[in-house]
Amino acid sequence: MRLSHAFIERNAIVLLVLALLTVTIGGIVEIVPLFTIETTVEHVQGVRPYSPLELRGRDIYVREGCYLCHSQMIRTLRDDVARYGHYSLAAESMYDHPFQWGSKRIGPDLARVGGKYSDAWMYAHLEHPRRLVPESLMPDFAFLARTPLETRDLLARMKTNIEVGVPYTKADLAQAEADLRAQDDPSADHSALEKRYHGAHVVPGNGHPTELDALVAYLQVLGTMVDFKDVTPAQERQ
Amino acid sequence: MSEHALPGGPVLYNDAVVKKFVIACLFWAIAAFLVGVYIASELAWPQLNIAPYLNFGRLRPVHTSAAIFAFGGSALIGTSFYVVQRTCRARLWGGDALANFVFWGYQIFIVLAATSYLMGFSKSREYAEPEWHLDLLLVLVWVCYLLIYLGTLMRRAEPHIYVANWFYLSFIITIALLVIVNNLGIPISPYSAKSYSWFSGVQDAMVQWWYGHNAVGFFLTVPFLGMMYYFIPKAANRPIYSYRLSIVHFWALIFIYIWAGPHHLLWTALPDWTQTLGMAFSIMLWMPSWGGMINGLMTLSGAWDKLRTDPGLRFSVTAVGFYGMATFEGPAMSIRSVNALVHYSDWVIGHVHSGTLGWVAFIVFGALYYLVPNLWGRKGLYSVRLAAWHYWIATLGIVFYIASMWVAGLMEGLMWRAYDRFGFLKYSFVQVVVAEHPFMVLRMIGGVLFTIGAVLMIYNLWMTVNSPSTEAPRATPVAIGLPAGAVVAGE
Amino acid sequence: MDLEPSDVIVGLMVAVLGLLGLLLIARAWDDEMYLFGMVLAGFAVMFDFGLLRRHYDRRDAALAARRGGHE
Repeated sequence: MRLSHAFIERNAIVLLVLALLTVTIGGIVEIVPLFTIETTVEHVQGVRPYSPLELRGRDIYVREGCYLCHSQMIRTLRDDVARYGHYSLAAESMYDHPFQWGSKRIGPDLARVGGKYSDAWMYAHLEHPRRLVPESLMPDFAFLARTPLETRDLLARMKTNIEVGVPYTKADLAQAEADLRAQDDPSADHSALEKRYHGAHVVPGNGHPTELDALVAYLQVLGTMVDFKDVTPAQERQ
Repeated sequence: MSEHALPGGPVLYNDAVVKKFVIACLFWAIAAFLVGVYIASELAWPQLNIAPYLNFGRLRPVHTSAAIFAFGGSALIGTSFYVVQRTCRARLWGGDALANFVFWGYQIFIVLAATSYLMGFSKSREYAEPEWHLDLLLVLVWVCYLLIYLGTLMRRAEPHIYVANWFYLSFIITIALLVIVNNLGIPISPYSAKSYSWFSGVQDAMVQWWYGHNAVGFFLTVPFLGMMYYFIPKAANRPIYSYRLSIVHFWALIFIYIWAGPHHLLWTALPDWTQTLGMAFSIMLWMPSWGGMINGLMTLSGAWDKLRTDPGLRFSVTAVGFYGMATFEGPAMSIRSVNALVHYSDWVIGHVHSGTLGWVAFIVFGALYYLVPNLWGRKGLYSVRLAAWHYWIATLGIVFYIASMWVAGLMEGLMWRAYDRFGFLKYSFVQVVVAEHPFMVLRMIGGVLFTIGAVLMIYNLWMTVNSPSTEAPRATPVAIGLPAGAVVAGE
Repeated sequence: MDLEPSDVIVGLMVAVLGLLGLLLIARAWDDEMYLFGMVLAGFAVMFDFGLLRRHYDRRDAALAARRGGHE
């Protein structure tokens, strides 16, 4: 023990290499199988890539640091399920680059917030939370309603998502701008949007979305993609 | 200018860069604590979210980055340069230009990271928020840091590499590995700061918390143990208690730490086998952690009386105490059933701060009270009494902080899972928010106290350098400073 | 007066960073990249001028010492 360690202590490179090897083992054992074990992400129906408007809404969610107060991960615990709905499946965040599971609930979990509140409530609450919930700690996000959504780099964003593994098709890219505007316009024709992005929630805009429109479109789709009536226990097994 | 160790003669150390890091560390301490107080106040009085760039969601990463990477990082790089030169009896490898590049490159990285969060650029990976371009800058600086450190070790005039350097070296190489893997992603354009993570969903969560937990392990623990292994023996003028223990706990610590990440993801959609592994290793981690604590505390045997006269040492020893407490609390919180209660709650915030305020900041304060008079060639501290005031005010601040967070966290956990007699949830979410308000205020007061303490320290250190009363009787020769413990370690 | 290899290598590396900064200023898609480019370019200029200044300071000091020795 003493002799062998003396050798390590006298050779900086040996010390460096051994330390590196020592810290590599745990990471390899825990991380690599998550990519190779087939059942890590459950095989359930319904999870699709985000529509262009939802994707941009998600970018704003990340930008404003929403994940610092809101988790998106309902645990397999009775009280979590009672409060927020069916526990989250890994499949439900399979297109989330990066994941938004969060680590602290200063506000409630948002994994299944989609469809829980009306659009009117969502807009009013995001703009001035304390007018609806006087005890809320959430900042006012009224400035999002005043900021037009930047769409110049929309294609670059979708193409980058393709590069990291999100299966957008050529048609999705070609129609991205049209889909984005249709989802922000209740009077537009939504059949193409619905075909490409099943269950996409149309927000009450005018075809020229603000950042708030995009954020609401994203929030309203959270947790709604999987229909749990169709899911069998065998499918949920990891 | 002699760059190499001359047999028997003194070595001219590069202390200029160490001084710069010390000054940066003091500056960032105040910045990090003030932002912390501000965001803590936002959670008590949400009206303080007055502008988009001052919203909690954008400021919180400013606080964590300023505390961990700016304050902690400057302290670590600075002390590691101080320690490696003295324990190797060699000047820093790579010349002054490279050391200066590491200093300025690192500071620029920090400033740009903070401004990028305020402007709304964040990868949303906790403790790894800077976007891809800043990550690349950091990697470049970090590689230069590794080269300097390794180069200095290789030109050492001592036969053995002193134990503190094992910790610093494994910190540098492991942080490089963690940062590179966790931040893999693709920018939407080489000219845009926005990028998307290479990983998604469950794999992304695992990679991030493999990183996140080891940011705690290898940034906030391992190198600060290196600091402990130099400055406590030095200040106490005692050898390290056990050389064997230092070997065993070093290798066990770095091996086990890396497995603990999944305890941040218990009960989630992460597969059970990974959760179980993470929990098991988190509990095992208790032993090597306490190995370090015992080695640090027992080094003082026979010198406990110094605690009454040396406020710097008092900080260091209290830090080791907090380290022991936090590394007991952590494994306990990693047990599945405990985690079900405390996860997502303020207990976690309290736990982190008992580590960062009690362990990290205190061990840094201890090192600074020792380092500043030595670096600037003064005969001692300007005021020992003021340092004692700092100690007590800061300790009181920590007590306020962690006690309020314990209570708030337990209360949250219990209220979230309370049922009425019909089996329905008893409290709505917002009722829990309301109940927490007093504890948010108490926590903020704790932060204010801690900040006041740090201001006293800066005044004290400023006067130590500038007051005529601390002038050394004659020009101090360059101290050749192996801690007494090196003799034991060198056997 | 001999050049320190460290000064040369680090100076060149920082100069490359500065040029990269200019490229980013010219092509930036967003404010963050623009700011990053400005800071890189500014840092490169300041840092490399600092290297030059210290180089000549050292040379002057060496010359002064030699002259002082002759008198």
